[in-house]
Amino acid sequence: FSQQLPTLRSSSSSQSQHEDLDYLNPKEYVIGGININGVEYLDKSVLITISKLQVGERILVPGDATSDAVKNLWAQGLFDDVALLINRTSNDTVYFDLNLAERPRVSKIVLKGLSKSETSDIQEKLSNQKGKIVNENLKNTVNSIITKHFADKGYLYTTVNINAIKDTADANSRIVNVTVDKKNKVKVHAINFDGNKDFSDARLKKFMKKTHEQAWYKVFGSGKFMRDKYEEDKEKLIAKMREKGYRDAEILDDSVYRYNDKSVNIDIKLNEGHKYYFGNVTFAGNAKYPSTLLHQILKIEKGEVYSEAKLEKTLRSSPSSNDVSSLYLNDGYLTFNADPVQTRIYNDTVDLEIRIYEGPQYTINKVILKGNELTNDRVVLREIRTRPGQKFSKDMLVRSQRQIVQLGNFDEQKIDIKPIPNPADGTVDIQYTVVEKPSDQIELSGGFGGGRVIGTLGLTFNNFSARNLFNLKAYKPLPKGDGQKLSIRGQTNGKYYQSYSFSFSEPWFGGKKPIYFGISAFTSLQSNGLSNSNPNLQKIRLNGLTFSLGKQLKWPDDYFRIDYAANLQQFKLRNYRGYLFENGDSYDLSLSQVLSRNSVDAPIFPTSGSNIKFTVQATLPYSSFNGKNYNNLSTSDKYKFAEYHKWKFESQFFQKIYGKLILKAQAQFGFLGYYSKDVGQAPFGRFKLGGDGLQGFDFLQGSEVIGLRGYSNNSVVPEGAPTSAGSPIFNKYVLELRHPVTLGESATVFVLAFAEGGNTWNKFSEFNPFNVKRSVGVGARIFLPIFGLLGIDYGYGFDAIPGQPDANKGQFHFSIAQQLGGFN
Amino acid sequence: CKSRFEKLRASTDVAKKYQEAIRLYNKKDYSKALVLFDDLVQRYRGRAESEDLYYYYAYTNYKLKDYLSARYHFKTFADTYPSSPKAEECRFLAAYCYYLESPNYSLDQDNTYKAIEALQLFINLYPKSERVAEASKLIADLRDKLERKSFENAKLFLDIGDYQAAVIAFRNSAKDFPDTKYAEEMEYLTIKAQYLYAKNSLETKQEDRYNEAIDEYERFIERYPKSAFAKEALDLKEASLKGIEQTKATLAAYGYKNKETEEDEQ
Repeated sequence: FSQQLPTLRSSSSSQSQHEDLDYLNPKEYVIGGININGVEYLDKSVLITISKLQVGERILVPGDATSDAVKNLWAQGLFDDVALLINRTSNDTVYFDLNLAERPRVSKIVLKGLSKSETSDIQEKLSNQKGKIVNENLKNTVNSIITKHFADKGYLYTTVNINAIKDTADANSRIVNVTVDKKNKVKVHAINFDGNKDFSDARLKKFMKKTHEQAWYKVFGSGKFMRDKYEEDKEKLIAKMREKGYRDAEILDDSVYRYNDKSVNIDIKLNEGHKYYFGNVTFAGNAKYPSTLLHQILKIEKGEVYSEAKLEKTLRSSPSSNDVSSLYLNDGYLTFNADPVQTRIYNDTVDLEIRIYEGPQYTINKVILKGNELTNDRVVLREIRTRPGQKFSKDMLVRSQRQIVQLGNFDEQKIDIKPIPNPADGTVDIQYTVVEKPSDQIELSGGFGGGRVIGTLGLTFNNFSARNLFNLKAYKPLPKGDGQKLSIRGQTNGKYYQSYSFSFSEPWFGGKKPIYFGISAFTSLQSNGLSNSNPNLQKIRLNGLTFSLGKQLKWPDDYFRIDYAANLQQFKLRNYRGYLFENGDSYDLSLSQVLSRNSVDAPIFPTSGSNIKFTVQATLPYSSFNGKNYNNLSTSDKYKFAEYHKWKFESQFFQKIYGKLILKAQAQFGFLGYYSKDVGQAPFGRFKLGGDGLQGFDFLQGSEVIGLRGYSNNSVVPEGAPTSAGSPIFNKYVLELRHPVTLGESATVFVLAFAEGGNTWNKFSEFNPFNVKRSVGVGARIFLPIFGLLGIDYGYGFDAIPGQPDANKGQFHFSIAQQLGGFN
Repeated sequence: CKSRFEKLRASTDVAKKYQEAIRLYNKKDYSKALVLFDDLVQRYRGRAESEDLYYYYAYTNYKLKDYLSARYHFKTFADTYPSSPKAEECRFLAAYCYYLESPNYSLDQDNTYKAIEALQLFINLYPKSERVAEASKLIADLRDKLERKSFENAKLFLDIGDYQAAVIAFRNSAKDFPDTKYAEEMEYLTIKAQYLYAKNSLETKQEDRYNEAIDEYERFIERYPKSAFAKEALDLKEASLKGIEQTKATLAAYGYKNKETEEDEQ
């Protein structure tokens, strides 16, 4: 008989009354009774229920039931100690004593000595300590959570003081008071290296990106000591040395010790080793591709500095998938593996044999989609490029991911693609896991325009389902899941200005081919608010209807697409002063064709790829067949049917420069031409350059507004031309550096610096692409899923605009973009 | 000034809160009842009333259509009080909540699989329960949904013109759901997809692929001699035979000979 049995003990008084307990030979008993001791606040019968021991039940002692009883009670987290003891046994009946140590529980944790935000951070981390019992363990846990929290932020000497007091409001509970003194943030006083010969101390310090010595001239990254960053830096340090050919480099020993209250010293003892070079590199095991081809891709010459990083890059992980692995992985060899083995090391030279395992060529069997809780399968599946029957290809996986991102309904950071190979029959299933994100946008704003308050209400649904419009069950809160887009927008300030628009688009018209179909309609009105019968009424009304069709091309590559649109616009002018004509109705019926290629990798913050767009738009040349003499027509007759041809070229490129820094380069050109000299340029469809690029009332004239930061809105016009009418020719160039602040799911924020230039001309003969109005500036963008892209820029325009003294120099611009991926 | 409810909510008189919560529940004011239950469940842990309380708590979530919370609480109840007379009901409702959360076939079916699993567990635990019949019917419903998903997703490849993918997907679907009600239509569509696959292939590959379509037809007509698709299927077979003749003629015209193609393949 042992007193030390962990779960089942017999109380000492009854020791003599029964036989020894033996775990090897448990005996069957009927439970005669259970007596609970040490409980003041809790209900005893419930505790017995929780223990799942029932009086009258037949159990093995010791056995599962007895140990489970203890476990079940422990799991409640209400006790400091749980002991199940045998009080006595008689014949086959056992009487248990259940000795419990009931402890007060935590009702509240009060933090002292911290700021509001620190308090809420810590409270969150401590939130699951509430309701637990108060004991030493709890105190230690709280202490370590808090000290770790601050150590991660660079406060190494934090002290925590904990005491628990009775909570008068709640029986058997305690308020835990925690006093925290985080002391000073610790900085790095000095980093000392030992054992380095070829590398200078200064060079080694540079390898450590986040751990610096403090110095008065360092404004950013001023030498705070962070444990996790330091651990990363040690790895970086060694990686960098190995990259330079020192393949034996290692840290022998390192220590961080207190220098004074505010700083620590770091000592790092290194073994530098000596510099190595590549010797003979050979391939083994390759059957599909010859070694000569693999050597061309590997690009490693004998005598080159030995660098595992370089080898790794050309063997496995070059960013443009120009590496040996990609060659195989894009051709079905899913289980391909290349293992560089150092076959001989002599003096400073390393011979390598790259052992290749090709494995079978895998064919795709199933394509599985998971996580689409709102979007229907086919909306995603039809975009996926890995289809059953194809050979496995890594590039197609990447391409599919990009296609899914472009749908805009899923969190781009959380798309997970997993190939599940089935080596038995050489097939592979590909599982795509997506996470839905809110993609609807609402625009509700009160703005100030034309001296009056304007209210706007806009709704955009990016995952609409038109066929479920009359299926009430599918409303959540609107019919969703077919990847269609519906937007409705209304803007008004009462009788002076009203604009209503509607648009709908379906990316797979008919469901069989990726043919885009769109329809949009709008009506807008601006007036001086007088009634229709008043002769002083000034008014412009614009009604429009557009149908568009577009499709992706397969040639030259499938980033290309072509779009056609038919537009009908009706302009009704009454006493509209300051424009090319004042009274009359005008119709603009045009067809347009857009050829574009878009390979940018993300809509909000692209890091690579380009977007190129070429647009031609034309009306019929009415003047050549209607027999009218345009020389002596009134303006309202002359412009009855607008005639023009319009050409636009727009392009932008995104390129990663260094780290997360992205360069955006953009060039645009537009030209509005006429068929007949007598008619001249059309009054509509002109370009207005300058400012934030936001469409104000300008669209009422059918104008296209193009931003140019550093200049006021629409201000960039040829000398002497009115700013209200727009110009027939423009060009614009932008260079912009962008750096992300956060690319999270709830918000995307980035900052930017730009240099841009642009200008407008009246005639093609005056056009000079290098004569532009220049500006530089900085700005920031924030994308919130429900609001769209909001921007603020400060630009400085260098070149004066004749006749407009306030148009250039320092300018602030605010912008809102509902559409992403444009050219503004 | 605080309302009576707010006062009660802030008070520490748990007994009174308990009574009020039950009263609100019976009055079907579930959202107010939930506020009180949320608080009470914590405080009554380890007391006699907690069993009943927890049962009401789970039901309140259920009535509020918060099936995610409800199924968790029903399951917790069944796990905590396995000998309670209400355990069976709660075990069933926990599974039923998954059933209610199983979406349309064209969305992610994670909850469908979990519902099937939970209902099956219920049947295994309470084989004599009168709810077994309903549970079995629910399982059948859910299986139906999975079959439809598999069928529709295979058909998508046919619709968008990836015929090779369609053939493979139809065959996989037939393998995964051998007794699906879509079996006949699916096998007919396999012939169609295989025929179109052959027709849209390079001439040199057409003959083999047409022959495959003809084989599919033979298997189909043997299994479903009186199929409603029999006529269309036969048309496809004949079109395949014609296709073979045509492709042979075309290849001959371009100077290909059968022997050469055979040699190529060897």
